[in-house]
Amino acid sequence: MSPLLEVHKLSRFFGGLRAVNDLSFTVSSGEIFGIIGPNGAGKSTAVNLVSGVTKPTSGKVRFQGTDVTGQPPHKLVQYGLARTFQSTTVFGNCTVEENCRRGSYLARYPGFFHSFFSTSKAGEMRQASDSRVAEVLEWLDLHRVRNVRAADLPYGAQKTLGMAISLMAWPKLLMLDEPVAGLSAAEADNVRDTIRKIRAEGISVVVIDHNMRFMAGLCDRILVLHHGQELAHGLPQDVLSDPNVIEAYLGRRYVKA
Amino acid sequence: MLSMLTNPTILGQIVVNGMSLSSIYILVALGFTLLFGIMRVVNFAHGEFAMLGGFAMYYLYAVFSLPWVAAILLAPLAVAIPALFLEWLVFRWFYQKMFQSMIGLLGLSIVMIYSALLTWDAFERNIPAAFDGILRFAGVILPIDRLVTIGVSALALGAFYFLMVHTRIGLAMRAAAQDVEIAGTQGIDTRKIYRVAFFVAILLAALAGALYGQVYAVSPFMGERPLFVAFIVVILGGMGSIPGAALGGLILGFTESFLGTFYGGSVASYASFGAVILLLIFRPWGLLGKPE
Amino acid sequence: MNSTAETVPVISKVRLGRSTSSALIGGGIAIVAALAIMPYLLDERFFYHIAILVCFAAIGASSLHLIIRTGHVSLCHAAFIGVGAYVSANVVMKLGFPFVGGLVAGTLAAAGLGLMIGPVILRLTGKYFVLITFLFGEILRMVFVDWQSITGGANGLSGIPAPAPVFAEPKYFYALALLAATACVAVCGRILSSETGRFVNAIRESEQLTECVGVPVIRTKVMIFVIACGFAGFAGALIAHYARYISPPNFGPLESLNLVIMNVIGGMQTLVGPLLGAIFLVLVPEFLRGYVQLQHIMFGVILILVMAFLPAGVVGVKDWVARRMIPHDRRGEQ
Ligand SMILES: Nc1ncnc2c1ncn2[C@@H]1O[C@H](COP(=O)(O)OP(=O)(O)OP(=O)(O)O)[C@@H](O)[C@H]1O
Ligand SMILES: [Mg+2]
Repeated sequence: MSPLLEVHKLSRFFGGLRAVNDLSFTVSSGEIFGIIGPNGAGKSTAVNLVSGVTKPTSGKVRFQGTDVTGQPPHKLVQYGLARTFQSTTVFGNCTVEENCRRGSYLARYPGFFHSFFSTSKAGEMRQASDSRVAEVLEWLDLHRVRNVRAADLPYGAQKTLGMAISLMAWPKLLMLDEPVAGLSAAEADNVRDTIRKIRAEGISVVVIDHNMRFMAGLCDRILVLHHGQELAHGLPQDVLSDPNVIEAYLGRRYVKA
Repeated sequence: MLSMLTNPTILGQIVVNGMSLSSIYILVALGFTLLFGIMRVVNFAHGEFAMLGGFAMYYLYAVFSLPWVAAILLAPLAVAIPALFLEWLVFRWFYQKMFQSMIGLLGLSIVMIYSALLTWDAFERNIPAAFDGILRFAGVILPIDRLVTIGVSALALGAFYFLMVHTRIGLAMRAAAQDVEIAGTQGIDTRKIYRVAFFVAILLAALAGALYGQVYAVSPFMGERPLFVAFIVVILGGMGSIPGAALGGLILGFTESFLGTFYGGSVASYASFGAVILLLIFRPWGLLGKPE
Repeated sequence: MNSTAETVPVISKVRLGRSTSSALIGGGIAIVAALAIMPYLLDERFFYHIAILVCFAAIGASSLHLIIRTGHVSLCHAAFIGVGAYVSANVVMKLGFPFVGGLVAGTLAAAGLGLMIGPVILRLTGKYFVLITFLFGEILRMVFVDWQSITGGANGLSGIPAPAPVFAEPKYFYALALLAATACVAVCGRILSSETGRFVNAIRESEQLTECVGVPVIRTKVMIFVIACGFAGFAGALIAHYARYISPPNFGPLESLNLVIMNVIGGMQTLVGPLLGAIFLVLVPEFLRGYVQLQHIMFGVILILVMAFLPAGVVGVKDWVARRMIPHDRRGEQ
């Protein structure tokens, strides 16, 4: 079986800065794949490249065998490739439920004409999408706060809501940009459980973070990025004991010990 | 056309016109870009400060018959010092609020235009030329008033350069233009920076208006043209970029002088608008600006 | 960072409850209905004239409101009204089509122009959009002045026929204008309340996030922009055949700005805002006749005050008061 996502020699330069340089990796179905690296390593850029937010300088992205390099994000969502953002994760001004409805364009939007005249087709789509909203909210334990304004939620719940919005489109792969940054340990554990729940439904997950402990306990495989390039790649315990990685993270003097 | 280009008289005229237009444009645009770079304010009322500069020049030179040098020195001050009150009354509410500043200062622009109209009615006033006569140099005819415009602008730009590069406050302003928050945390008094930047910007705009008003005429509506110029120059060079304003001013001045000489002013306007729109589409951060 | 949230302030801190917002809308409808009938009660030529101007302003402001709801403030909307006006006048006067032909042609021309520039300029973030539309409006104004054979140049076009002889009388034209304005506002309202409106709101609040949940952001914005420009052209055709005389200043930057002011004063978050703004901006000059300068100064001051202290406009006063009462919640403020 071919892998779900194949990234081949992907690069993106900003002027002289090589934010991502010659990066290759694959993600298979049902996997939790981690990308880790210090600040400015190019993690977000890598996710932006795969999800179409940024156009690559060179390289290829294949999703389920189809070449999707350079496609705009809304097209990639149709293929089943969804993502969350590092900072703006939710629509702060509306309720949790409304956030999810806004996430369900593909399932919900019957086109200008049908929605303008509220045809029966529009009604059916609305019903189907509302039941999906209820289902996802229940699934991620957000149903109790569904009428709360998103900006009033605790930070951890906002991150979960961000995932819920992305899950509305039935993705096959979900990419999460720093889902636990700024969260307390307890909140981070919650998010970890949520990610596991998502994987249990057969959805592959790519997670970005720089917290090694969190990532080691969650990911099946980890790729370490440094200055836009792959530094190490493999099972969590192997990667985390790699001297190159320790050096990049902690400085040279820790390598021996 | 080629033969016209090699004709030293026409060529000289294009160059001198281009230089004098450019120098006025740079004066207008520098202030505009300074306000944008430091306070994130899009000053839609910038042209009206130039208009006030024109009126100040009219009164000082044509009505009160001050010597020209005194008038050209005092006119910008006569606008910029009272303008500090406007800074306190209006501008400070819009600092770091780009969108609100555009619409709010469009409002200020209307207030200023129509207040001027109430005060001075709509007729154009002419400021008598201070220097007529021409200079002949290697077969090229150089109108002296244009040369004076170039000279005064060059002095003002030199002073501006000195302020920005060799003084503490200039350094602080450049730091604030880079990043206000960081400048603030480094103990730079942003309120003071804002006031100085505002003062300098208005000073430059009023000087440009005084020079411009003497070449053309003074009226409440004369600010429209400088505003467009500021817009075009600043978009060309990159919003907030000081070298960009200089480059943009040169490009616009020479384009207008060149196209205006051969094809007329209307073609020159279309060409510069068209070029700016293309630039906005493909490189919205301008020639020397930085993408966000 | 460069999302449109920065460009159009996100204001509704405290959400209007469903009941209050529907009360507001209901109140708005009642006011509009009362104003619609009023001229017939007063039955005077002058009042019909004012009411017709309100109708035109309502079409212009509510169609601009559609664009504003996507997070972009256009400073060339009046220029699109001009396109509709000149095209319709020419189609009727030079090509001999009936008024309906002119109306359709004017609408399509403005919409077509919107379709040509929309896909390009709607990629820009909010502040660049304001600048480019300002310049584009100026270019169109220059075209209106320079293209003498079509536009009559600075002198304008005169002798444009009324839609039909009976409509030369304001009393009957008012019926037409009222019908047109009601239809236009109703369509705008329906678009915003339909699923399309949901995604338009999402785009305004975060373009990037919206794109990444599968919404074709540019296509949606272009669609709204084209519809809005079409309505502008439609209004232009009506204006041309009512005023019977058009010239470039009718469609210049000041007129575009007036349409923005209507939205700003009334409030940019609901369709009621621009309607109140339209009524206000047409009525005030009539009360201040002979004080043209003072009027403009007053509008300018209002614009400054609203933008400095009350960016949500009059409809936003409630939110603003609420925000003052709850000082701890400052997130989302600019
Ligand atoms: N649009 C852009 N233009 C110019 N440089 C950029 C742009 N986006 C990212 N960069 C640069 O690319 C490098 C990688 O940035 P990126 O955001 O991918 O890092 P990251 O690994 O996600 O870091 P963090 O942990 O802080 O999120 C940085 O040096 C950044 O400054
Ligand atoms: Mg990042």
